[in-house]
Amino acid sequence: MKIILVCSAGMSTSMLVQKMRKAAQEKGLSATIDATSEAELGNHLDHTNVILIGPQVRYLAPKIKSKAEPHGIKVDIINSMYYGTMNGDKVLEQAQGLLEG
Amino acid sequence: MNNKVMQWMEEKFMPIAGRIGSQRHLVAIRDGFIMIMPLIIVGSLAVLINNFPSDAFQNFMIYLFGDQWKNVGGNVWNGSFAILGLLAAASISYRLAKSYDVDGLPAALVTVASLIILTPVTKDWGISYEWTGAQGLFVAVIMSLVVTELFRMLMKSKFTITMPEGVPEGVVKSFKALLPAMIILILVGFLQALLTALGNTSLHQIVFESIQKPLQSLSNSLPTAIIIAFLNHLLWFFGLHGTNIIEPFMESMYLPLIEKNQSLFAAGMSAFDVPYIVTKPFFDSYVYIGGSGATLALLLAIFIAVKSAQYRSIAKLSAPAGLFNINEPVLFGLPIVLNPVMLIPFILVPIVLTITSYFALSLGIVPKTVAMIPWSTPPFISGYLVSGGSWMGVLLQIVNFAIATLLYLPFIKTADLAQMKQNKVA
Repeated sequence: MKIILVCSAGMSTSMLVQKMRKAAQEKGLSATIDATSEAELGNHLDHTNVILIGPQVRYLAPKIKSKAEPHGIKVDIINSMYYGTMNGDKVLEQAQGLLEG
Repeated sequence: MNNKVMQWMEEKFMPIAGRIGSQRHLVAIRDGFIMIMPLIIVGSLAVLINNFPSDAFQNFMIYLFGDQWKNVGGNVWNGSFAILGLLAAASISYRLAKSYDVDGLPAALVTVASLIILTPVTKDWGISYEWTGAQGLFVAVIMSLVVTELFRMLMKSKFTITMPEGVPEGVVKSFKALLPAMIILILVGFLQALLTALGNTSLHQIVFESIQKPLQSLSNSLPTAIIIAFLNHLLWFFGLHGTNIIEPFMESMYLPLIEKNQSLFAAGMSAFDVPYIVTKPFFDSYVYIGGSGATLALLLAIFIAVKSAQYRSIAKLSAPAGLFNINEPVLFGLPIVLNPVMLIPFILVPIVLTITSYFALSLGIVPKTVAMIPWSTPPFISGYLVSGGSWMGVLLQIVNFAIATLLYLPFIKTADLAQMKQNKVA
């Protein structure tokens, strides 16, 4: 499973990425999780399953969806409370839920 | 705050902000500037090192490398800040073309070529540095949008040369861009010829005098600075990336100001005497201490006065990133976003800091900003650097930080009490 997190510079989401990687490790889940900026997103679409968008750039969602969904990639906005508390567990669950749902 | 007002903002105002934040051309401008930022910062640091206000350092460098040691930094500046317009034009054009799924490099090349056509030539047949930098930035931005739009339309039209099958793709590509490039360059060449014939002037001259110059003096005023601080934090309050949304305007309006300050500083003028007060480093270093809302001060206020475990744990979680001016955890986690108790201080604090900083600089107590550094440079270090190596810059940051902490204290205390009550009821 490959998950990409997007925010404006890819900085604050990269903090969450570390927490999510840890959560995935604890669950014994093999997942590639990375953070990127919106501008660089185009270079990261290969083999990606889920794109999660930081709530502060949620206005980019329609644009990202139109780019990614034709590739079969699921796109969603990160729950802002989980984002704020950097809850890697819950955000990972959100990503898994998208793939199952 | 009135619920109806909040709802109206959320339903009417925020979607507009969202559309601005995702508008194709504005996004291209913003991402274009972000792409060239490393070069700008390198150029800026070169000037800062060259003019570092310490005799010991200056003597040491002369002792080590000789009298000419400053040439290195000067050369670096020539290849970065001094050609800011060219760099911006190329990278904005690249980004815009990419957003249309058009090849970015040919678009960027045609844009740079067009810009050079419009750039005045010196008497001994050189490209005039006067206009390749920040002074020509408006024309650079406008031309990158116009030329790239033209280029993309022509590329998708019938005005391209199609090659028979079996011709290698590289050849096909280079021929495909040939006609569009030709049409655009002839058009721009014609425009320049017309300007020369009519008044021996250049687009740069016209745009600079009629648009850029008036806008720059407007940008440098206290009311404009307050409006920017207000807008940024209003957007953030609704959970939208304010700095990001206003970035295209910030860069186009304020990069020329810091460039002017910096080039005068490089020429030996003191940082107190350079002309412009309000710049992007002004906001980044003196107002957004720890990120938008000067939230590093809020974290300190929490550590001082708050008992609730929830707030304290959010503050602890947010502190390390906060030192690098990244504050999404505290904005969304506390939360500040859509939290009526925090609305007033979150908007008030930056406005107060804008005012104190403006007067500290305009009254000549603190040197003006003369360096562009990464926005993620920790506070107190950043104040020293942007002021051209002055402890007064650090002092201003400390004073602002203290003011912000004091302003946040009563509000976070109120929020804390409400939180404790709620916990008891629950």
